[in-house]
Amino acid sequence: MLRRPSALVAIVLTALVVAALLVPFVGGSYAIKFTTRVLVLAIFVISLDFLIGITGLVSFGHAMFFGLGAYSLYFISPQAEAANALVAFPAAILGAGVAAAIIGAFCVLTRGFYFIMVTLAFGQMLFSLFYTSRIAGGSDGAYINVKPEVALFGVTILDFDRRTAFYYFCLAALVLVYLGALGLARTPFGRVLQAIRRNEQRVGALGVNTYTHKLLSFVLAGAIAGFAGVLFATIDGYVTPDLFGWRQSGVAIMMVVLGGVGTLFGPILGALLYSAIEEVLKTGSWVGPIANHWSLGLGLILIAAVLAWPRGVAGLFETHAPPAPPGRDQPSGDLQAERPQRGKALAVEGLTRAFGGLVAVNDVSLKLAPNLVHGVIGPNGAGKTTFINVLTGALKPTAGRIRLDDEDISGRTPYAIARCGLGRSYQRTNIFLPFTVRENCLIAAHARHPSPFRLRAGKFAREEEHEIVHALAATGLSARADARASHLSHGEQRQLEIAMLLASGARLLILDEPLGGMGAEETGRVTALLRALSVNHTVVLIEHDMDAIFAAADTLTVLVEGKLLAHGKPEDIRRDPAVREAYLGRWGQEIVR
Amino acid sequence: MDLVLTQIFNGLQYGLLLFLAASGLTLILGIMGVINLSHGSFYMLGAYLSLTLTSLTGDIFLSLALGIPIAFAFGAAIEWLFIRHLYERDHLQQVLLTFGLILVFNEVQRILWGTFPHSVPIPSYLSGSVKLFGLMSYPNYRIAVAGLCVALALAMMFVIQRTKIGRMIRAGESNREMVEVLGIDTRLLFRFVFAAGVTLAAAGGIIAAPIESVYPGIGESVLITSLVVVVIGGIGSVRGAFVGALLIGLADAFGKVFLPEFATGLVYALMAAVLVARPGGLFGRA
Amino acid sequence: MTAPVLAAEKINSYYGQSHILRGVDFHVMPRETVSLLGRNGMGKTTLLRSLVGLVKPRSGRVFLHGADITGSRPSFAARAGLAFIPEDRGIFPNLTVIENLTFAARPGRGARAGWTLERIYSLFPRLAERRSHWGNELSGGEQKMLSIGRALMTNPDLILLDEATEGLAPKVRDEIWATLRQIAATGIASIVVDKNLDDLLALAERHVVMAKGEIVFDGTAQALKADAALIHRHLGV
Repeated sequence: MLRRPSALVAIVLTALVVAALLVPFVGGSYAIKFTTRVLVLAIFVISLDFLIGITGLVSFGHAMFFGLGAYSLYFISPQAEAANALVAFPAAILGAGVAAAIIGAFCVLTRGFYFIMVTLAFGQMLFSLFYTSRIAGGSDGAYINVKPEVALFGVTILDFDRRTAFYYFCLAALVLVYLGALGLARTPFGRVLQAIRRNEQRVGALGVNTYTHKLLSFVLAGAIAGFAGVLFATIDGYVTPDLFGWRQSGVAIMMVVLGGVGTLFGPILGALLYSAIEEVLKTGSWVGPIANHWSLGLGLILIAAVLAWPRGVAGLFETHAPPAPPGRDQPSGDLQAERPQRGKALAVEGLTRAFGGLVAVNDVSLKLAPNLVHGVIGPNGAGKTTFINVLTGALKPTAGRIRLDDEDISGRTPYAIARCGLGRSYQRTNIFLPFTVRENCLIAAHARHPSPFRLRAGKFAREEEHEIVHALAATGLSARADARASHLSHGEQRQLEIAMLLASGARLLILDEPLGGMGAEETGRVTALLRALSVNHTVVLIEHDMDAIFAAADTLTVLVEGKLLAHGKPEDIRRDPAVREAYLGRWGQEIVR
Repeated sequence: MDLVLTQIFNGLQYGLLLFLAASGLTLILGIMGVINLSHGSFYMLGAYLSLTLTSLTGDIFLSLALGIPIAFAFGAAIEWLFIRHLYERDHLQQVLLTFGLILVFNEVQRILWGTFPHSVPIPSYLSGSVKLFGLMSYPNYRIAVAGLCVALALAMMFVIQRTKIGRMIRAGESNREMVEVLGIDTRLLFRFVFAAGVTLAAAGGIIAAPIESVYPGIGESVLITSLVVVVIGGIGSVRGAFVGALLIGLADAFGKVFLPEFATGLVYALMAAVLVARPGGLFGRA
Repeated sequence: MTAPVLAAEKINSYYGQSHILRGVDFHVMPRETVSLLGRNGMGKTTLLRSLVGLVKPRSGRVFLHGADITGSRPSFAARAGLAFIPEDRGIFPNLTVIENLTFAARPGRGARAGWTLERIYSLFPRLAERRSHWGNELSGGEQKMLSIGRALMTNPDLILLDEATEGLAPKVRDEIWATLRQIAATGIASIVVDKNLDDLLALAERHVVMAKGEIVFDGTAQALKADAALIHRHLGV
């Protein structure tokens, strides 16, 4: 997860700030103008990195908010006077933010390629609106005759007509925006966004409404882009519809990737690098006649960068922590909670799920008592995973009801069901691999209070910390709290999945083949853990390892071809002739008698 | 009335040309999973190629005949050099690399042909117009272009439905892994599909050249509109690209007649409407 | 001494971090039918996929006709005589039955008696009746037959069949077993995964049992029947 920048990065950034402070003294007015542009672009690109690198939303229309911010200066500035920056700038930010809220409400409904397309579409719509209509000079662009100034009670404090004053203002703005974005990424809200980028489905299944989080991120990024836009307009006092266009968005994406996606300082390097390359390639005296074709060079550099250098400049600063040695197997921790909790009971009536003509779950009725381990077994293709998907809301039932304690949860969304206390793990390990063990549990704990407005660690921090410590102790992962999840052994990763469910406050755990791919020793440990968990939770377990499930389960349910074949105590199930038939065939039955 | 009819016909003809570009884009995205932003550049390069070839051969259709193998070879080369590295990469990197290709192609075009608009002559045997329905005159060449596009569309349908390579393409869309397991080297299949997509786009550019002047920006508008067609029609569906392109063509025509300032906006509104009603596109694999 | 058609030495395959195959040695002789048994999640599918090249083993080697194909593309192994039929059958839903069948039809290595469309139709009359239906309009059993027919049309030396009769009605299962016997009689070797112990014991010459990523038994039907404890432990309830 995003940490404070390393010492090396901090040094480089500080050096850049110092160098920037000196520019007006050593360079001429062109140098100041060039650097001002870099600073403003960096602010724009930081906002885009927040969207792409932190939240995982690849927008190809982000420049539309940049353009809106720029044009708002034109609309606010009187014909022959300077606008008051204290009014104009917040207005630009607000305007861009509101636009982002409206546009985002629609865009954020989509994902992946479609998200790229709808953001592109909106950007182009705004472009053509300003290009073809006469709103603000159309394709010719518009001038801001007098640059804004900062005035308080009629007294001019800063006049942005003066390049140097504006330059230092932009430098300060960049530093504040960077620190602000960094801080935002480290709040509970920001951490959930980073988790959404890695694995949105998992975050939803933990109980978080990912739509509201993504929308808020979109709005904040749009507002900051609007701020960059109004600053940009102040540099030259001239705005054109090109500011809205997809090329502008594309160049911004370029800067993000060149600098390093998701680092938040990468954009600063990217903006600098891109502007420098563009400047060098354009300057005839340095590169000769190639200067006329500088975008060719730029394109080739871009292609080479993607092929050879996918992590961008920031990748150079990455220290590779040596992977922690494969965990010495931890004994299962002590599970005594302060007070015993009652796990949830699950009741299912006539549950059916059909896919067209294929009935995957066929009229299943079942009652699972709390604080027990319930096993679900059956031959492959029997509908077990579909059954789980319906219980957890990943699929809607075609018919039937599901009750958690007394609450009817049929047909609810996955995150609403998770918030009722039902947590699930997956057949293929579904954790946040780049995050540490503790961070994984932290995301799960955040899901207990999933308002997107959690911008401060605030009042829930202590409670969450307690839950995390408890969850790690229960699953025996306390010693590995700071190891990256991708460095854990497979068994430890499965334990982490369970720890996350505990941290999220789930009272009924549904585990889909938690023992898959484990050796004998790990199996024994996890089986013991599951039995220990049933003291305070209800555990539902799908498994194929018969020895394990017989050791762990209090009841067994057998599903065959979507139907409930048998339900009862393990010893009874073992002796049931219909069950034997389902597994071993007629011959097998004889041999085992 | 005359004007409206002409606009409708223009819209349909524009839609048919758009189909050529969009069909390649949808196949590449559907089968190979690659977002290729430089697709519009192939249309643009086709138009400029038409300029050169027609000045050499004197006839647009000869240019087309020559241009097709050139475009195919070029497409295969681009796939081998750049595109094949993108199959395992995420959308962001695909967008970025193909954006870089746009810059390169644009500059190559500038170097070879300059920035002034050019025109390509309509062949003399197709100049003039014909009276349609006794109501209006419509240029012969435009009718020929529309006819050619329809012919190409039918040829594509034939190839996809009736030939071995078409089966591989259809199969690759639903189960890439199985195609490989059955003994077909999907690397070569992908190279062929990409080259074919490039050729279709370039062919569109070649025959469109005499209709509108050839200028540097045509690639970009074709790209964006093609992307919209792909979204409307459904990723991977050639039939969807056909229907989507015609819808866009008509929407564009109506926009120009009734709402000239919002013509482009209308196209995007259409896309938004389709996404709301059918998130996978009209013919997409939902 | 004849060489095996397919041989795997000390295969270790992973799925992400999950160590699925642990040092597996496996081989199939020419014209031999081998059964692969074991509960779900024990590594049977991963073994088949590792042999074909869909999963690259982290260590170990795979040999086909004596040549090392470890790390080669699956299409290479397929053209060298390997036919893999996955658990979900892999039928192309947007192709018709006849298009599916003829999709990869080719002559086999050497002078192998050709599997032609007519021969497939006589083996699976139901496919002949449904020849112009789309792949996804067939029932589960018909799709199974189609996937087997499609594999046969490539004239392979070795068929890898993942879940021969899973989810099929008993009558259809019997047809599949009869078909597999006929195929074996033409000299094609095969690896068959299934849960029906009795049918497999009747079909295959050799039986291999997997548990937790390792081979725990490799021998004849007699030897297997004699070891009731092993059957109970690894195959039963």
